[in-house]
Amino acid sequence: MASGRPEWGSLTDQEVVLLARSGQDAAYRELIRRYERPVFALLFRMVRDRELAEDLAQETFVKALNAIDSYRPEFKFSSWIFKIGNNAAIDHLRRRELDTLSLDGSPHAETPEAMQATALQIGARQESPLDTVEAKELGGAIEAAIGALRPEYRSCILLRHVEGRPYEEIAEILNLPLGTVKTYIHRARNELRDALAHLKE
Amino acid sequence: MTRPSGTHLSADEIDSWLAGNLASEWQQHLDHCQECLERARAEREIVDQLAGLQLMSPTTGFADRVMAAVTLPDPFAIRSIQATRRRLFASRKSLAVAASLSLILLGSMAGSIVWSLTHPQTLASIGHYLVLQGEQIAWLSLRGVASNLMEQPWYSGLQSLISNPGRLAVGSAVVSSVYLVGILALRRLLALPTQQVAHAGI
Repeated sequence: MASGRPEWGSLTDQEVVLLARSGQDAAYRELIRRYERPVFALLFRMVRDRELAEDLAQETFVKALNAIDSYRPEFKFSSWIFKIGNNAAIDHLRRRELDTLSLDGSPHAETPEAMQATALQIGARQESPLDTVEAKELGGAIEAAIGALRPEYRSCILLRHVEGRPYEEIAEILNLPLGTVKTYIHRARNELRDALAHLKE
Repeated sequence: MTRPSGTHLSADEIDSWLAGNLASEWQQHLDHCQECLERARAEREIVDQLAGLQLMSPTTGFADRVMAAVTLPDPFAIRSIQATRRRLFASRKSLAVAASLSLILLGSMAGSIVWSLTHPQTLASIGHYLVLQGEQIAWLSLRGVASNLMEQPWYSGLQSLISNPGRLAVGSAVVSSVYLVGILALRRLLALPTQQVAHAGI
């Protein structure tokens, strides 16, 4: 630090958190600057909707920064913020899963096609022009394959191979045993490989 | 780690290969096993594709929007009991320091109470001595202030003003007027503006 103003680059996350706890606005902004991209990218790839991902990212940072006093410095700040973000995404996906739960079709429908045609899809939505833009943004076969993974696999594979987090940290973030994390990552890679092989064919 | 003969690379070994630290005996196997090599290469392809995914950022002003909803702690505010307790129980070391300080504080308090109860005469004589010293210091200070005042050049003028009731009345009236004018001026200064000030809405 020089002349009372911290040189942010030389400070660890824990040191920046200490400055934030003393009420320094600039320290809060530094934490946002360090993690806005990775947290947003994780959320965007989890929920596949830019606006929603931004809302969830905002919710994540507000929740974390308002509870900065409860952060325990013996853990990595990155683990803490990713944990809050991932929980927000998983909660949203669970809610959406309930909302889009297909109700049984008409009792008079006799064929599966008729049942499907008359089934009520709560919250089911048409792809808007914005969705098309987002699909392009998330374009590429690999993005589509990630989108088809189970949310738990998706969190694991994104944290490991996109954000470059070690297995131990992923286990901490997702609150899962280390062995489970490794299994999920291997399964996710297998599923991605199969999905990409199908696309190649 | 020795490689069981006839076995192929497990997922963990493929991970080690991807990280560039596969054990030499497994590396030898990989050099000769087409099946394992194909699997490993396919995994590397996936990992490379994942690592090369597009970077993403939230829209401009994201930090400002977050900060608008964040409540900054007041550094001068007394920490809540909950936060203090959390900090106290954060590690064994902090807990041990807090316990030691509490023990020292409670021990010294108990010691002083016991001593006071067993030595009432000594306590009374100390109190008496302190009161005497206090009185002496106060008296000396008062005398010093009074003699200093009497040595001032304006003291004789003040004395003549006090001795003449007419002059005293005039002097009091002047002082009161100045005080009143001062109060009115201050009220005017502190009053809220009645008209909207052009630059106040920035």
